[in-house]
Order: sequence, then C-alpha cells, then structure tokens
Amino acid sequence: MIWAKEETLSRNEIEEIQLSRLQEVVRRIYEKVPAYRKKMDQQGIKPDHVKSLSDLKNMPFTTKQDLRDNYPFGLFTVSKKELVRIHASSGTTGKPTVVGYTRNDMKIWTECVSRIAAMGGTTDDDVAQICFGYGMFTGALGLHYGLENIGASVCPTSSGNTQKQIMYMKDFGTTLLVATPSYALHIGEVARQMGFDPAKDLKVKIGLFGGEGMTEAMRQEMYKLWGQDMKVTQNYGMSELIGPGVSGECLELCGMHINEDHFIAEIIDPETEEVLPPGEKGELVISCITKEALPLIRYRTRDITRLMYEPCKCGRTTVRMENLSGRSDDMLIIRGVNVFPSQIEEVLLKVPEIGAHYEIIVDRKDHLDTMEIKVELADESLLDSYAKLGELEHRIKSKIRVILGIDASIKLVAPRSLKRFEGKARRVTDLRTNML
Amino acid sequence: MIKQLSVFVQNEVGSLAGVTSILKENNINLKAIASFDTPEFAILRIVVDQPDKAKILLAENGYAVKITEAVAVELEDVPGTLNGMLTVIAEANLGINYIYSIVIRHKKAPLIIVNTDNLEKTVTVLRENGYLVADQEDL
Repeated sequence: MIWAKEETLSRNEIEEIQLSRLQEVVRRIYEKVPAYRKKMDQQGIKPDHVKSLSDLKNMPFTTKQDLRDNYPFGLFTVSKKELVRIHASSGTTGKPTVVGYTRNDMKIWTECVSRIAAMGGTTDDDVAQICFGYGMFTGALGLHYGLENIGASVCPTSSGNTQKQIMYMKDFGTTLLVATPSYALHIGEVARQMGFDPAKDLKVKIGLFGGEGMTEAMRQEMYKLWGQDMKVTQNYGMSELIGPGVSGECLELCGMHINEDHFIAEIIDPETEEVLPPGEKGELVISCITKEALPLIRYRTRDITRLMYEPCKCGRTTVRMENLSGRSDDMLIIRGVNVFPSQIEEVLLKVPEIGAHYEIIVDRKDHLDTMEIKVELADESLLDSYAKLGELEHRIKSKIRVILGIDASIKLVAPRSLKRFEGKARRVTDLRTNML
Repeated sequence: MIKQLSVFVQNEVGSLAGVTSILKENNINLKAIASFDTPEFAILRIVVDQPDKAKILLAENGYAVKITEAVAVELEDVPGTLNGMLTVIAEANLGINYIYSIVIRHKKAPLIIVNTDNLEKTVTVLRENGYLVADQEDL
C-alpha cells in the first residue's frame, strides 16, 4: 500500500514543496551554522540567491570531512537541549560522525521509514524481527520506530547469536526480517544446517534489507534460501542524512523511491563535480530539506547510481534511484581498470557450484596489481577429480575476464570457511595501501 | 565394489587431522587414506567401515564430501601380482586416474584401490582374469 499522499504528487507539486523547504533550510543554516555561512560567503552565495531548484547547484557541497571537522555538534542548527536522540556512524576510520534528532526530526524519520516499509509489503499483521545491531548505528532504531508506527509487532533481536535468532523466528512466527543482505543469507544457511528449510519451516515472507547494497544475484539467492514467494526489497539511507528512510524499493522492484518531500537528489560527476542530466550515472548528492537538527545540504554520498523520474507502475511518482553500482570510494583500480566489487559479486553468484560468500584480496607483486578471489566450493559432485575442480576455477576466471577485462586468480576453499558478517560485509582486502 | 569418500581439504596445517579427529570421535575405523602434494587444496580419499555415517558427520562439520564407488582388488603378497593386474587393465585400454591401498586387513591379503574412467568394465576384465574384486562387506 501507499503510505502517504506525498508519494503520488505531480512533478510540479513536489517541486513547489521542495523549493519552499529548500529556501527555508538554506536561510536557517546560513543564520545558525558558522561553518555553512563561511562556505557560502566564500562562494559569494546568500540565502536569497536560491530562487529556483536549479540554483541548488550553486550551493557548496557537504562531505564526511565537514562532519569530522565540526565534531561533534558543529553543524547542528539547534542547541543540544533540543535534541532527543544522538547517533553516530560506524566510522571505520578516524572519528565517528555524529548526528542528532529533535522531536520533530524523529517524527519525520519514523514517517519516512514507515513509507518504505509499506512499499516493501509491511502491514500491521507482521511480526518483524530486527537483526541489525542496535546501539549508535541508526539502522536498527530507524526501522524499529517506522515498523512500530505501521503497527507491526517488533522484536528487537539485534545482530548475532544466529541460532537464537532462528529459534525466535520459529517460535514467534516472524513474518518480516530486517537485516543486511549478507546476514540474511547467513541466517538462512544456519537454519539449513540446523535442519530447517527456511522456505517451509519458517513464516518469513518479507525481507527489508539495507545497510549495504544488494545485487540482483543476491536477491536470487534470497529467493532460493527463503522461498520464491518472499518479498525481497532493499532500502537506502545513511546516518548523515537521517538513517534508513531516504529511499526504498516498492514491490515492482524497479529502483528505490526517494522521499522527495524530505530529500532533494542530484547526480554529479564525482571528478568534475558538475550536475549530470537526468538518467545519467554518477555520484548521488542529497540535500535534507526538512530536518531541524542536522539538515545537510548537497551531501556527497559517494554512492554511484542514476535517477529515474518516470512514474512507477506501483502508483508512486517519486523519483527512483537505481540499485547502487558501487561507491566512488569502494572502487578498486586494478591495473588501471575501474573495478567495483559488486561487478565481481554478480559474476560469482551466477556460478551454481560455489557458495554466496567470497573474499577479494588485492595486492601488488613486481609492480603489478594482482587480484585473488576466494570462493567456497558448494558442489560435492566435482570431487571426482582435480580436473573438474580445475575446470570450475578456470570457468570463473574467464567469466571475470569477460566482465572486467582483467585476470584474477581463483582460489577454491572449503564450504563455510570464509568469514561471515553480521553487519556490513567487508569482503575486500587491499594490501597495496602502504606501497608506492 | 567398495565405497570411498572424497573430501575437499585446504592445504594448511592440521587439515587432515581435522578430518581424522571427526572419525575418531565417532568411532569410525579408517581403512585407507590417500592424498598427494598439491599447491592450493587437495582431494583427500578415504575408505572407512561406515561410509554413510562418515559422510553425514563430515558434511555437518562443514566439509564438502562425496561418496563414490571404487574398485578394490585383493592381491597376494608375492612379486609381480600388481604388475599382472595393471597389465590386465592396460590391455583393456583403460587409463588409471589414481591408485592406493589398504594394507592392514585381519588375516587377509592387502587390497589395491584403483580408479579408472570406467569402473564397471575394470571390474569385469579383472574378474575374467581371475582377480578377486572386493565388496564393501569384505573390508
């Protein structure tokens, strides 16, 4: 079902709302946030220069570095007293980025997540198990509030202790699973090892996946493990913008609908920083136009996608963003070729003889980049001879060569021997970083 | 014919002991074992007294395992018997993929396990030439 009328407005109506909200938020950050005022003054922009939506492109970008430089609350437009919630990003390097919510921000966040959960098929009949880690990460509590708001029965099981997760699923009759796609696959595998067929013995029929991108091939794995009738959608967000709730897939599975009355999306060329025309692929830049505490303007997400403005079969008119092609900062350059790990994943998941988990190790030997891909053997019938296993390695290698144009060495490893992740999967190790 | 297990093992310290410890803990008797030096991984071939049980246990412990049939031939411990058997197989135009043996059998002659591309034909030509081909219960 469509949760809010704002999801079906005409392009003119939505743009009218976006412009008035953008003008208000630009005025507010100019007045209240010295760091923004300084940046705008340097570029000679005053709030009243924003006369149309196309003037947004003249505003300065905001980056993760700006949040770090203003750690913890420097970019906030309200005093600490007005905050009712503080979260921080998983920040693997350096200081975490801190985000905050006023009471009204919490309402907006909850509303945005409810819309996305409804898009993915959630109703008040669902029993929702949230297998995201709780804590400073926005994912778990974001989904928690949004699902409760719909009226689903929310079980905050958090991540980890997979066998117990499966016990709850069985005993509570869980119908909806919230997890990273890689953890959802892991839960399914563990259920099988415990002697359950997730498709038959569990009632999980909706998967709302996020926290990391899900490729189409991963979605097919999801159907295989959890049942062909599972509603498998992914949603998108990041703590700096609001957390989950920026966009999500409807059941037509043709991109993620952006909540455009709260966020304005642009696509830029990450090198030249120029705005690209509709439909072109580039880096997603998002402006928050309704948030009170931390309304970031032109935030560089580093995610690569493209925007589709045609109305969707589901009835929503909001712009859709295509499944992420990767992150501009995840991109590996191997022997001069741009490689997104998601491209390798697409290839691997189409090889039935191996499992869904993999590891990529990039190194440099004699000044040449090397890439090794570890995959788990899943098909026992190949154990007849070394020749059959060798043929499998060779076949994967040539498929990778066709897609990427470079050679990788393929290493078969034992089933279940690669690391499993309960949060975001970290499947790439680049050993070249400390070398010249 | 007898049953043999083919197990995928990685080339790292303790990987064979990992397999044998599972067999020992479950009181499964190992009759023969073969593995050769390979760079990345190996197919470990074993013959045990309870192959189906061993397969389930190994699979539960995360191993990729396959049960296949194998030809096991009883050979007297005198010079030239192995040569005789290999000649019979060669004259039938059958190539040998790998060969290993079960040496310890209670008061019985050793068994040679041989794999070719055509197991049925191998059994037939060996029997026609008077060789004793063992079945699982003969172990």
